[in-house]
Amino acid sequence: MTAGNPSRPSPGVRKAGMSTTASSRESSTARGAGSSSAAGLGKSDVELPALGPLGMARWAWTQLTKMNTALFLLLLLAVAAVPGSIFPQRIQDPAAVQDYIDNNPALGEWLDRVQLFDVFSSAWFSAIYILLFVSLVGCVLPRAAKHWRAWRAEPPRTPRRLERLPEHRSLALGGRDGAGAPAPGDVVADAARLLRRRGYRVAVRDTGSAAPSVAAERGMWKEVGNIVFHLALLGVLVSVAVGSLFGYKGQKILVEGESFANTLINYDSFTPGTNYNPDWLDPFSVRLDRFEAVFNRDTTDPRSYGAPLDFTAEITVQEPGAEPQPETLKVNAPVNVNGVKSFLIGNGYAPVIRVTDGNGDVAFEGPVVTIPSDGVYTSSLVLKVPDARPDQLGFTGLLLPTAVTGPDGMPRSVDPGLANPQLILSSYYGDLGLDSGVPQNVYVLDVEELTELNGMLSQSGPIAIDAANPVHELPEGKGTIEFLDVKRYVGLDIVYDPGRFGAFISFVLAFTGLLMSMFISRRRVWVRAAKGVDEHGRACTVLEYGLLARGEDPRLATEAERLSKLFTEQWGTADPPGDPAAHRSTNRAWSGPNHD
Amino acid sequence: MISHPSPASRPSRRRVLSLAGLGVLGLALAGCTEEDSLAQQANSGDQKGYIAGDGTVSEYPADQRGEPVQFTGTLFDGTTLSAEALRGSPALLNFWYAGCAPCRVEAPDLRELAERFDGQAAFYGVNLRDERATAEAFERTFEIPYPSFEDKDGGVLMALSAYVPPQAVPTTLVLDAQGRVAARILGIADRSVLETLLEDTVAEAA
Repeated sequence: MTAGNPSRPSPGVRKAGMSTTASSRESSTARGAGSSSAAGLGKSDVELPALGPLGMARWAWTQLTKMNTALFLLLLLAVAAVPGSIFPQRIQDPAAVQDYIDNNPALGEWLDRVQLFDVFSSAWFSAIYILLFVSLVGCVLPRAAKHWRAWRAEPPRTPRRLERLPEHRSLALGGRDGAGAPAPGDVVADAARLLRRRGYRVAVRDTGSAAPSVAAERGMWKEVGNIVFHLALLGVLVSVAVGSLFGYKGQKILVEGESFANTLINYDSFTPGTNYNPDWLDPFSVRLDRFEAVFNRDTTDPRSYGAPLDFTAEITVQEPGAEPQPETLKVNAPVNVNGVKSFLIGNGYAPVIRVTDGNGDVAFEGPVVTIPSDGVYTSSLVLKVPDARPDQLGFTGLLLPTAVTGPDGMPRSVDPGLANPQLILSSYYGDLGLDSGVPQNVYVLDVEELTELNGMLSQSGPIAIDAANPVHELPEGKGTIEFLDVKRYVGLDIVYDPGRFGAFISFVLAFTGLLMSMFISRRRVWVRAAKGVDEHGRACTVLEYGLLARGEDPRLATEAERLSKLFTEQWGTADPPGDPAAHRSTNRAWSGPNHD
Repeated sequence: MISHPSPASRPSRRRVLSLAGLGVLGLALAGCTEEDSLAQQANSGDQKGYIAGDGTVSEYPADQRGEPVQFTGTLFDGTTLSAEALRGSPALLNFWYAGCAPCRVEAPDLRELAERFDGQAAFYGVNLRDERATAEAFERTFEIPYPSFEDKDGGVLMALSAYVPPQAVPTTLVLDAQGRVAARILGIADRSVLETLLEDTVAEAA
């Protein structure tokens, strides 16, 4: 850089060329002049930093790996997750998103364009967590390497002036004429042993000199905990990523007696992970044997009467080549088959209906899944009979589990139990549109192209069928509809999240690491022994020690006192028993009132 | 589609992201995903109640086919039939149910092909959801000449999933004379494609 452009020689360049023989101070000025002239010709008064692409990258890296950048990104991640709870999310409820877009066409389209319906897989959300990830890696790895080196290195050298340390004490050992005083070398060796027993790692220094010392350090696990905490946060990120890359989630509605095989063809809806391969589906099947819903029958409190208390699904799980296994499925108690969890997320009634068409043939027979809309299971029903002839038939209406006709003549459900199930239906005929192959919402009957047969406002009135009156003849000889039975169904969420276990382990590790970094204190102690005189001017061995904590450590003084006690006991008892005076004098001849 | 206003820009962004993710996570992933049909269906929220296929055809050359399939099922007329009974000539298995819109689209083609290959290849349906009367109404509508397995319990499906899993409604499997899966079509079977597949398998058996 300092070489400059030979066609434009400047004083700086020439000086730089000379600087090999000049003194170091001269050469640094020469370099400064050279670089400034190279960077800003004609703007000599402005010192532009000439970083270059490499320097720029290094600067960006330093900024990114700063701890406060990581904290900021973490905060940003939390803020960025907020729209996920404001707008419906495709990952949870794609139908709700479609509804939202249909209801707000202009706004919805824009929200969709900035991925506000896919917050957690959006470019901007990913950018934040990838940056956070890089920031954490860039921060933690060098820290770990540094700590590794620090651990392998010996505790740092003993400072010359121990009294400058935050905690400083001294003891005079021996006394009077110094006769009973232990030798400084022995004192230091004993101190090292005591400190090691207290969990310090020690290094004895300057043995054989007049003032040998021991350097000790403990609490190396604090930083380990810190690093583990950060790595575990990374583990959480990776686990979540693995889950969303390789996991899947699917829904299936099962009527009593029906089976579900874990094959894509058998799902009602299926959300694959970003990198999911449907060939990976673990084959097993689940049959719903029985479903039981318990409702509150306590009549003392009318407000909670009829509230659901418990849902239990008796299922049979069959894995290939294994015996069928009966299992019980409850809300929040999923059944786990090789890591694939089946959750009970919904239930309802499926009335069994038979439709005979205008030709007198049975065109449909079977359970029809209804969607409960309130606490008394007033359920909406849609039935499409595309094989009815001469005309296709469609039905929409309600299932009332316990139908009671109100004073206004309108039947409604008064209880979630099946006391008096009734179907109130409208009927239509015409082209259902299924034969065109265009997928249709199974829970919606598009009546635009259809002709009404029965309806609330039509001449013939709605169809009302129940156990006492199960058959209804459709007008115009279009056929009959028959109410045969009511079965129950369950809605299952089948979820495979390979990252779940890793996330759990990571959380445990993060918590452990956090506790370690909070409750372990990193401290250094230096002990030095030398021959000296006590407060009465008598020769003795002066034991001096100082403590230093890493960061704030309110318990450092306590530790200093504890060491004082240890040292006092050590040499207090080590004195010759026949010399009580010496024994006394070793006890805190002058302990450290002079610590700052 | 309203839900995907920028189909052109979307995959590229996604690819860039997955590349970044790859570099950072260091995960060895086989190929970055485009928005595939499965994810698109999941995001559409159409509540159609089944997984549709895009007509993907997988053909397995004779030397790359798996083991002969094993299954036992019951036809709607009550006959129990096992895979062994299908050996000796090519067979076609079509997974369907009456309310599935694409199944209704391909039904006329299947009927014609069943008639064309009468005596050369056996056709069977595997009905995944319907009870007998509903299934028979469908067969009446489309004059389906071949029988179907009643597979609400998923027995035939589970057994076949071990070989070449059906991954959409409808799925069509072509078995060769030894009972091995020779081809799979996910979604509506294109008539001429299916015809060619059947001709090849029949020719092979001859």
